[in-house]
Amino acid sequence: MSIIANNITKIFGSGHTEVKAVNSVSLTVQPGEIFLIMGPSGSGKTTLITILGGLLSPTSGSVVINGENITKLKENKLPAFRLNNIGFIFQSFNLLSALTATENVTVPLIAKGMPKKKALEQVKEMLERLGLEQRLNNKPADLSGGEKQRVAIARALITKPGVILADEPTANLDSKNGHEVMLKLCAISCEENKSVIIVSHDSRIKNIAHKVLWVEDGKLIKEEEGNHKKICPHENLV
Amino acid sequence: MIFIALKNLFQEKTRLLISIGGVAFSVLLILILQGLYQGFSYRMGEYIRSQPADFWVSDDKARDMFHSISILPLEYKAKIEAVAGVAKVSPFSARQIVVNIRGKREATYLVAYDSETGIGGPNKVVQGKQYPDQGEIIIDRVFANKQKLKIDDSLLIGVDNFKVAGISEGTNLVTFQYSFVTKQDAERTFKTADITNYFLVSMRDVDKNQVAVNIEKQLPGTEVFTKQEFVENNTEFIRETFLPIVLVLLIIGFAVGVAVIGLTIFTSTIEKAKEYGVLKAIGVKNNQLYQMVLGQAFVAGLIGYSLGVILAFAVNQIVTRLVPEFISLFRLVDFILVLGATLIMSLLAAYIPIRRIAVINPAEVFKA
Repeated sequence: MSIIANNITKIFGSGHTEVKAVNSVSLTVQPGEIFLIMGPSGSGKTTLITILGGLLSPTSGSVVINGENITKLKENKLPAFRLNNIGFIFQSFNLLSALTATENVTVPLIAKGMPKKKALEQVKEMLERLGLEQRLNNKPADLSGGEKQRVAIARALITKPGVILADEPTANLDSKNGHEVMLKLCAISCEENKSVIIVSHDSRIKNIAHKVLWVEDGKLIKEEEGNHKKICPHENLV
Repeated sequence: MIFIALKNLFQEKTRLLISIGGVAFSVLLILILQGLYQGFSYRMGEYIRSQPADFWVSDDKARDMFHSISILPLEYKAKIEAVAGVAKVSPFSARQIVVNIRGKREATYLVAYDSETGIGGPNKVVQGKQYPDQGEIIIDRVFANKQKLKIDDSLLIGVDNFKVAGISEGTNLVTFQYSFVTKQDAERTFKTADITNYFLVSMRDVDKNQVAVNIEKQLPGTEVFTKQEFVENNTEFIRETFLPIVLVLLIIGFAVGVAVIGLTIFTSTIEKAKEYGVLKAIGVKNNQLYQMVLGQAFVAGLIGYSLGVILAFAVNQIVTRLVPEFISLFRLVDFILVLGATLIMSLLAAYIPIRRIAVINPAEVFKA
């Protein structure tokens, strides 16, 4: 599933308080590619990923995912589009505190209308593949940072979306867990042919990215090749 | 998505207990008040219902036994008997009077008990004699308990001494109680040898409405009520006196329920605002999130309702033993109505949290 962003601009406020958070950014991510967006705090990275994920409308420009111009989709159609096509991975994991690991991952499937029993079977299999078979019934409070992020990855993947958007996925993890998460994202892209966009300060992620985009003051200032080809293919990652 | 609602609800047990407790208190208050109102209403008509009559003939200026006194000449008895279709006519004399108990003046509704016809007798005598003799009185159990009277004790009506000969039940009118003396003692006390208050009329198997019309034609200045009409006239007294107060208290009870569930669900929604944002971001529709909030409110409401019903029965049992005047009547229809009120309570309580969820911006979840 490809992502094409055409000349996206996002302006917050007006007059003296006007801020151009994203300024004429264009990019194209092909299926199986990982793009890393880097830049200093306040450079507009998060605003950009939010627009790419259909959570925020751009002031101008368009975002086309798998041929669908999501900037033209009606507000009430966007949730279903996100549910079916985009998986989100957040910096602070954002798991639901009252639910077990298994239940957290069933949420997107149940939101799609799948019966809970069937959803649980699928989720169990996914969590086992991610090495969480001992943690199925643990709540987020009882999981380590790395385990939480793996549950979040499982939640992002469970509906088999074509696009994965990850915001600082390694920021709250130690180096070992951060590395593990990176490799899993790499495997997702390689083995499942998904388009992955990662926003991060973590330069180690360059190792799994096909392209690295540098954003500053909302503008795309530099584009360079990542090291993805050097480390792929992986074995036994996902 | 209901399973998430339940998980959220049971995650914070203290808040859940407050929510359930608030609803239970509200349901308890509403059921007890409604039970008291129904109990009072039922008791006001219970005695009238027990009297063997199809119709009550009254002075047309009196509608019930409490607001005004019906006075009818005893000679009307023969005239009513003469109306075609009438089987039996019995005078019924009763009046609220003051009795003197150990120097204390207390009100009772004194009824002339005709032991020959059974008219004017108590529903049920639970202690002592079934029929009073001259100079004897049967008093209500609640009156006996309140005044600490027992069999063979004495009280004064005017200058006449009466000995307590029996204790009755089903003769409590909430604010005062019925007492029963012989017809002769009542006539002497009321000083009404040639008048009575009502005539109780039994019919043959005829068109009863036509007979009632004929009695009114035959005796201008009278009004004929069916037993049910007369019960309702007397119950109206309770409706006029207590219903406005009961209604205010019911509204307060309802508002307490809405406020407690509303506040607990709202604070839970505020605390979990980010989680709702996450759900929105991953593609859960607003309607599904609203269902979650409604689910929480309804489950808290239904558990609170169940607890409230249990408490209402328990409180009723305890208070009835401690305070005999406490008369309540629980009807199935009231439980159904209160259940409906609880569901409305839950619906209203979910309104503000739902509005809060509607404005949560899913993009906010990207803020660390």
